[in-house]
Amino acid sequence: MTTDERIDQKQVLDAVNGGLILFDLERRVVGWNAWMDTASGHSEAEARGKLLSEIFPGADLKRLVFAIQAALTSRSSTILTHALNPALLPLKTRSQRPLLHDITVSAVGTPPIKQCLVFVNDVTMATRRERYLRDRQNARYDAVVANAPDLIITVDRDGLVQFANPAALSQLGRAGGTLIGVAAKDLFQTKDQWHSVLQSAFNNSSAGHPIDLIAQRPDGTPSHLEASASLWASGANNFVTVILRDVNERRAISEALRKSETDARDAAVALSELNQTLEQRVEERTARMMQMEEELRQSQKMEAIGQLTGGIAHDFNNLLQGITGSLDLVKKRAMQGRFNEIDRFISGAMASANRASALTHRLLAFSRRQPLAPKPLEVNPLLTSMEELLRRTLGERVVFEMVTAGGLWLTKCDPNQLENAVLNLVINARDAMPDGGKLTVETGNSHLDNTYSTVHPEIEPGQYVCISVTDTGSGMSAATIEKAFEPFFTTKPIGTGTGLGLSMIYGFAKQSGGHAKIYSELGQGTTVKLYLPRFRGKIEQDELIPDLSEIYNAHTNETVLVVEDEFVVRELIVEVLKELGYSTLEADDGSAALKILDSKQRIDLVISDIGLPGLNGRQIIDAARETRPSLKVLFMTGYAENAAIAAGFLEPGMAMITKPFAMDALATRIRDMLGK
Amino acid sequence: MTAPTPVILTEMELDALTELVNLGVSNAAHSLRELVREEILLSVPKVTVVSREEAIKNLGERDAKRLVAVHQDFEGDIAGRALLIFPETKSLELVRAIVGSDLSLDEIVELEQEALAETGNIILNACLATMANNLGRTLKISLPEVLHGAGREFFYVKPPPFVDDNVLFSFINFSVRQRNITGYIAMLLDLPSLATLKNLLTELIERTSQTAAVPPNDN
Repeated sequence: MTTDERIDQKQVLDAVNGGLILFDLERRVVGWNAWMDTASGHSEAEARGKLLSEIFPGADLKRLVFAIQAALTSRSSTILTHALNPALLPLKTRSQRPLLHDITVSAVGTPPIKQCLVFVNDVTMATRRERYLRDRQNARYDAVVANAPDLIITVDRDGLVQFANPAALSQLGRAGGTLIGVAAKDLFQTKDQWHSVLQSAFNNSSAGHPIDLIAQRPDGTPSHLEASASLWASGANNFVTVILRDVNERRAISEALRKSETDARDAAVALSELNQTLEQRVEERTARMMQMEEELRQSQKMEAIGQLTGGIAHDFNNLLQGITGSLDLVKKRAMQGRFNEIDRFISGAMASANRASALTHRLLAFSRRQPLAPKPLEVNPLLTSMEELLRRTLGERVVFEMVTAGGLWLTKCDPNQLENAVLNLVINARDAMPDGGKLTVETGNSHLDNTYSTVHPEIEPGQYVCISVTDTGSGMSAATIEKAFEPFFTTKPIGTGTGLGLSMIYGFAKQSGGHAKIYSELGQGTTVKLYLPRFRGKIEQDELIPDLSEIYNAHTNETVLVVEDEFVVRELIVEVLKELGYSTLEADDGSAALKILDSKQRIDLVISDIGLPGLNGRQIIDAARETRPSLKVLFMTGYAENAAIAAGFLEPGMAMITKPFAMDALATRIRDMLGK
Repeated sequence: MTAPTPVILTEMELDALTELVNLGVSNAAHSLRELVREEILLSVPKVTVVSREEAIKNLGERDAKRLVAVHQDFEGDIAGRALLIFPETKSLELVRAIVGSDLSLDEIVELEQEALAETGNIILNACLATMANNLGRTLKISLPEVLHGAGREFFYVKPPPFVDDNVLFSFINFSVRQRNITGYIAMLLDLPSLATLKNLLTELIERTSQTAAVPPNDN
């Protein structure tokens, strides 16, 4: 080889647009072209005679050296690409950027092989161009796919995932965070549907509408997706990109809707069945219940008003009128000196006063603060004794008739209450007949059977004594009847009645274990019936209306101590006692009383108010009984509640009388206590 | 049997050949492991000798399946063409298996040709060199080329083939990154080359039975 030829060869090698390196058997550089100078920054002079590892210390040269060795020993040719070997030689472009390159290694000449050629091919520009084109092409696509809420996966012909967008990765990604290379069918529970989606796409025969699929999330739960698939090709490779829309929420909503519709339908069916079977029974029950409810409401109202009474009754005015009127006449007759006519009016005033007293008892009884004093009673004699009074009350325009049944049963109730009840009924009847009419008071035995008590559940079936008061007056409407027993209900003008009358009658009947009932028709008249339970027993003693003319006389020297802070009351009692023949002592409070009681003074009985300033009546007596253990005491109280309390602690030799009391009643009690 | 008389390799010779090819792919696997820093297993179950048409048929001509092949020519005492063939659909998976899943599909597609060429080059070089070394011969091996197409095209690449060419044919199994990919490895040989190979194999078997071991590379 001549020098000229070598220069020519060198010039040819330097003209090649690529790196050329020639190695000897010891893998030392024996040739190095100008391109290598530029790319490596080392001249041929520097490189010659050196191993690659000496020229490029630190570079990973293992495969390249192996390829050189293989070429020298077995004449094989090797390619090393930037694809699999990102950092081959540390080469740079003219602008000092990393130079991407492939390297081929081949043996030179024929055996025996003495040299090996390494060719370095610059692929920087080609690679960059490809990437640039791809990036430009993909920028928009990437933006859409990366941010799509839909799951987007690309699968190859074998059904392996080659691409998955972030949405797909987050929903279906397995541990390790990748889907690439995973068999896509493993992601789905509905494998047949998935297969058909994929096959249609690869056959380029899309279904034309989304297919429902159920994917399996990494935690095993199902996810409902709607798949649309399309085929595309990259060179010889076919891919199918599948867009999977998350329809879980939509499904959940539609299922909830379907369920609620089903539920509503079921409920409607059940309801209609129930209606058919129960309608009739419900109707019957409703009617029955409404009636019972009325009864209940009625009795509840009666209960409530029990605590309200204590006011002034309309009747009270009438009674006061009777008293003051009578006293007026007494005064006139006395002034005229016609004393023989006085007695009649005094009796009238007394009767009115007694009735006024009874009225307050009646109010208290109604309010349940005073227990009734029921006792076996013959109704007919009581009514007969009232006949004269009733006739007077009714006046001349009303025809009065009393029909008393023979063989009438005994009943048990408070006689005063019954008397007042009848009086009230008669007054009401009179007021209902302003133009006159007929009034009938009737008695009879009555048997209320089970049928009656079914309609009126508050009534025990059984035998009753019935007292009915019938008028031929204006009558009442059904609505009025319904309210007639309510307290303060009145048809009378304001100021002429309190409305307590009928409700108190009702209360009395109830308390006596009986019942009250109104039958009325507008324009025809009214019948009020009082049912009082039959009493199976005997009359204990004849205790009819007290006879005011009867006088109880004191035994000799009997002394009574009266303890009462109210001067008028004390004087009244003392006056009565004196008239009855007793000796009396007076005290206006506890300490005065005790002084007398501590003395040797004979005292047969103490009459003491319970409510006193300082020591109360009970305390006085407790102290006095220390020295007079058998001292007899009659307590007086103006208030029934005290009576109820006192009843619990009354010891032998003690008794109670409630104010106001008739003087005869007081005398009777005193005689009872001191022994006749 | 029709003329020309085919050269028949005995079972023992085929076993020896299979062993040599396995030795070669195992060297290739070693190289690939170093390259991709992943466990890679390569195996060749059994080498058979088939006619060109049989080989084409084996590749599934009737399905007209698209294939990709890396081929390299070799010359020396034995001359012919070595091919590493995959279904086209597997090639991306193979590249993905080699380069890992960090890269996007686009990048994989971009690298596909180079990566296939280099991977095929490593495997074919290793097989041919190992065979040649063990048979005491050297072969001049060309650089690789990547082909896409049907099996028939791969076996009729110029220079014009001979009617009586034979094909050493086998499956090759890749196992990498939990993936198993099956391809084919084929060596197209003319009749004299096959005869030479048969002789060389016979010599190898005799040597081996004397020393009871495959001799080390003595070239």
